[in-house]
Amino acid sequence: MNTIDQLVLDENNILFYPMMGNSYQLNNLGNEIVTSLKQHKTKDEIIEALALKYEVSKSELFIDVSDFLSKLKIYGLLS
Amino acid sequence: MSEVKYEKPTINKIEFAMASKYGSPMKTQNIRTEIDGVSVNKLTEKYGSPIFVFSQRQIEEKYNTLYSAFSSRYPDVTFGWSYKTNYLNEICKVFHNLGSIAEVVSEFEYQKARALGIEGKNIIFNGPYKPYEDLKIAVQEGAKIHVDNLFELNDLEKIADELDMKIPVAIRINMDTGTYPQWSRFGFNYESGDAYEAIKRMYDGGKLYLNGIHSHIGTFMLDANAYKLATTKIMQLKAQVETDFNSEIEYIDLGGGFASKSNLKGVYQSADVIVPTADDYAQAITDAIYANNKSEKLPKLYLETGRAMIDEAGYLLTSVHGYKRFPDGKKGYILDAGVNLLYTSTWYNFNIELDKHYEGENEPSMLNGPLCMNIDVIEEHLMLPALDRGSVLTISPVGAYNYTQAMQFIRYKPAVVMIDTKGEAHVIKDVDDLATVNYKEV
Repeated sequence: MNTIDQLVLDENNILFYPMMGNSYQLNNLGNEIVTSLKQHKTKDEIIEALALKYEVSKSELFIDVSDFLSKLKIYGLLS
Repeated sequence: MSEVKYEKPTINKIEFAMASKYGSPMKTQNIRTEIDGVSVNKLTEKYGSPIFVFSQRQIEEKYNTLYSAFSSRYPDVTFGWSYKTNYLNEICKVFHNLGSIAEVVSEFEYQKARALGIEGKNIIFNGPYKPYEDLKIAVQEGAKIHVDNLFELNDLEKIADELDMKIPVAIRINMDTGTYPQWSRFGFNYESGDAYEAIKRMYDGGKLYLNGIHSHIGTFMLDANAYKLATTKIMQLKAQVETDFNSEIEYIDLGGGFASKSNLKGVYQSADVIVPTADDYAQAITDAIYANNKSEKLPKLYLETGRAMIDEAGYLLTSVHGYKRFPDGKKGYILDAGVNLLYTSTWYNFNIELDKHYEGENEPSMLNGPLCMNIDVIEEHLMLPALDRGSVLTISPVGAYNYTQAMQFIRYKPAVVMIDTKGEAHVIKDVDDLATVNYKEV
């Protein structure tokens, strides 16, 4: 099972990784992106969806989403 | 497209040890929206970023506080504005208008003071290197010469011959005041007897006479008692010289070194706790004068306070150019101001303030400047929320030394603005350009 599929996300934006016993605080958009990842959406699909929802350019979203995914990798939550 | 408010995505590992009764570093944001009523965002919009900003009101308040601390305890005190601390003309003028004379440590600073209309007699000429011709001009113009070494003493005797006059001089001495490091590079040592020997040598030559004794015991002195010791030793030497050489020494000069409310790296307690007050310094010095005065007249007292007078009145506004994620998870912000403008970042942890409240939790961040140099780190570790491109950060206190020591390196030196006592901002120095940098190149 992929790490991302093991993550447990609650309504308070707390992300729990049972295997390591670590918890993480997300904000709303972080929650949205993790939810999308758990649905196996690609980075491009996530950016596309966010661009439709928010008044932010795709180029800016690319930076912010890339950064968020980098941090997930650094935390070992995304391979 | 909806009107849902965009907030950059964030994720932070929950470290339970980070929460305490003092609050959480994940939430705290230090915010500064204005300086003396002028919006920091408007300042950068109008004058560019980065930009140094000085508050005339805060300079005057500091001066008045420090001056009152001394003048309420002692009848004859004069401040000399330490040019090296900040010699922007408009800054010097503020101090001169408040009553400061000038304290300079080079021919360039001397010329600057003269160009600002300060008479030679109102200039204290300090420093270990005084070129002969400039020393001669200073003598001719009646400046207060503070002798640093025997070579300078010889030069002064030669000048005395050339000008056919007896020159009044002060001597700089250094001493043990119980602090570390002991500043022994400047002037003549007290405990070894070198100071007395130099004075004897002066009187033996018959061309100079002593009218002042000066010491500058260190910088960022956190112990007011060190000044008490310094003053005691100066007064003891004064009494000895007056007796031995049947002379009268007009003044003593305790130099500078009073600490500002800057946060020294490696010091756990905040500046508010460890920095002595103006009253602490004044009490220490004036008590020692009264306790050790042996002559009928009290000496005139000079002080050359620089840092404590202006540090907190100076700010550097800088904007976020971008950010990146480092392999260790830290967020690295690229700012338009770096260590080229913040010489004192080596020793002090600055206050970093945001231009507004940002949504979301803080995360470990690093502030880097614009230089293509790995050492360009303003703050290696601080907790910040997700900042936007263009967010304005206020860095303080930076009023002392940072502008005068700022380097024209890789980027142009920025503009400087002063906010006057009516809350109006004025440019006091324009941003440099290619012509400035190329000037005098052949």
